[in-house]
Amino acid sequence: MQMMIKPEKTNITIGFSPLTDCAPFVVAKNLGYFAQWGLDVTLQKQNSWATLRDKLHAGILDAAQMLAPMPIASTLGLGVAPMHVIAPMILSQNGNGITLSESLVEEILAVNQISELVFPLDAKLLKNVIEKRKQHGSDKLCFASVFPFSCHHYQLQDWLLSGNITFEDVNIIVVPPSNMVDSMLSGDIDGFCVGGPWNAKAVRGGSGVTVITSYDIWQDYPEKVLGFLSSFATSHPKTVLAICAALKQACTWLDSTPNRFETAVIMSREGILGEPLEVIAPSLLGSCLTKKGLSPRHVPSYNQFSTTLGGLDINRPDIKHGFWLLEKIKNCQQISADVETDGVIESIFRSDIYAQLALLIDKKG
Amino acid sequence: MASRKNEKQLSSGTKDLRILLIDENTHRADLVTAALGDSRYAISHLASPSGTLLKQVDQLQPDIIVIDIESPSRDILESLNTIKNINPKPVVMFSSEQDTDTINQSIESGVSAYVVGDLEPHRVKPILDAAVARFREYQKLKTELSETKQQLSSRKNIDHAKRILMKNRNISEEQAFQTMRKTAMDTGQKLDDVAKTIISMFNTL
Repeated sequence: MQMMIKPEKTNITIGFSPLTDCAPFVVAKNLGYFAQWGLDVTLQKQNSWATLRDKLHAGILDAAQMLAPMPIASTLGLGVAPMHVIAPMILSQNGNGITLSESLVEEILAVNQISELVFPLDAKLLKNVIEKRKQHGSDKLCFASVFPFSCHHYQLQDWLLSGNITFEDVNIIVVPPSNMVDSMLSGDIDGFCVGGPWNAKAVRGGSGVTVITSYDIWQDYPEKVLGFLSSFATSHPKTVLAICAALKQACTWLDSTPNRFETAVIMSREGILGEPLEVIAPSLLGSCLTKKGLSPRHVPSYNQFSTTLGGLDINRPDIKHGFWLLEKIKNCQQISADVETDGVIESIFRSDIYAQLALLIDKKG
Repeated sequence: MASRKNEKQLSSGTKDLRILLIDENTHRADLVTAALGDSRYAISHLASPSGTLLKQVDQLQPDIIVIDIESPSRDILESLNTIKNINPKPVVMFSSEQDTDTINQSIESGVSAYVVGDLEPHRVKPILDAAVARFREYQKLKTELSETKQQLSSRKNIDHAKRILMKNRNISEEQAFQTMRKTAMDTGQKLDDVAKTIISMFNTL
């Protein structure tokens, strides 16, 4: 392979969140893709999305794995001083799941007088529980997502809405992914929407039942994206391309199931997620653990990083998806009416940068 | 300078400011608590917050939250502003990162959160003093801004209502104003409220 570009900056720090869908970063580093593009990359694990964002804004991180709505929130200044962040590449989709506590599932079975669960679970069954609880004057159920501006938050809302449950009917809080299972065990929350490996962890431990995945809720919408400060991308265009190219190679490599298993092995061996293989591997292999004692569900597109189907390229940013996410932000009343959004999505989801990348990788062969 | 002044003003020894310290490092938290033993700060320490943090904030109503910038719980605090209708709490984040200034510039320029250096026990008090001063200054500006906005909007309402009266009753501006003022005094309402009533009545007619 021949080097086609010379990055302006070669020492690069990338922030990521220790979740199953950080796989492209792990692969690009371990298989030497970053090095092939002339980059010396340090992957810096971040414990919270807010701090990852602040470090990217401050230029302490050169690039970051971000929740797809985050670049929009950054650029519009939602919850933070506005900073123009671009997403020239989509990294993954269909990686989240909603898990309910074992006791809530028992309640669902009892209230609806059913003996078997059908996955994905119809939220109307949960609605009946909420109605019953209202009649009895019981506490509202409490659900957690991972960040205010996250697909998890909007997917949770959409699943609840599919059963005519509004955010008024339940309490919604934010809990860090690594604390989800403990928070459910302690009874602080009754369910959560989170990425891997935390759904599988809850099922393996017998504390939760994964009732639906984000593939079932929103099929094929971007969940994690690669974020850069717009100013960085302007002054380091070749660096941005090199980082994207290495990650694109990693995403493509992750298309094969055997490769995915190897990735799960690397992630568990290196302790990146702090969890064992039996918890990391399933979602990467298209398996959604449902409930202890029950068979897993086959969800072929669980944790998707790329696709070879029908010439569709899921890594290419699409402004239609950007508008969809903006709509979700609006629906959740996370944005005041006077915030100007014209032209913002087009300036974030930069398929023009991604298009250059396609040419580069072709040339590189 | 600023911190010394604060100290002087508030040397009564009463614990009048509640601090919620979120730090997984219990040893450091103990040192910090000890360092503040004889100050106006009452410290509550939370080592592993997760799901309980919101409850704690709700119960304790801290004046300031102090948190390690590397704590996973930062995302919970972040949600206080957007998800729950809890009053935003001033947040002081400590960081071992060399370049805290650059982070500060990028956060809402020291508005409801800002970053200080490492949490060394002997530095804690001046840090908190500065934070209190800073948040109070911000709060003052915010109140002033909202009062100014309120005054502007009230002036607009009164003008609008005057014009309605002048047109509908064919009276002078002075007469319209006196009518409104009399109504306000007779009914014990603010002039702005009377104006709003006139506007809404006119709109429904």
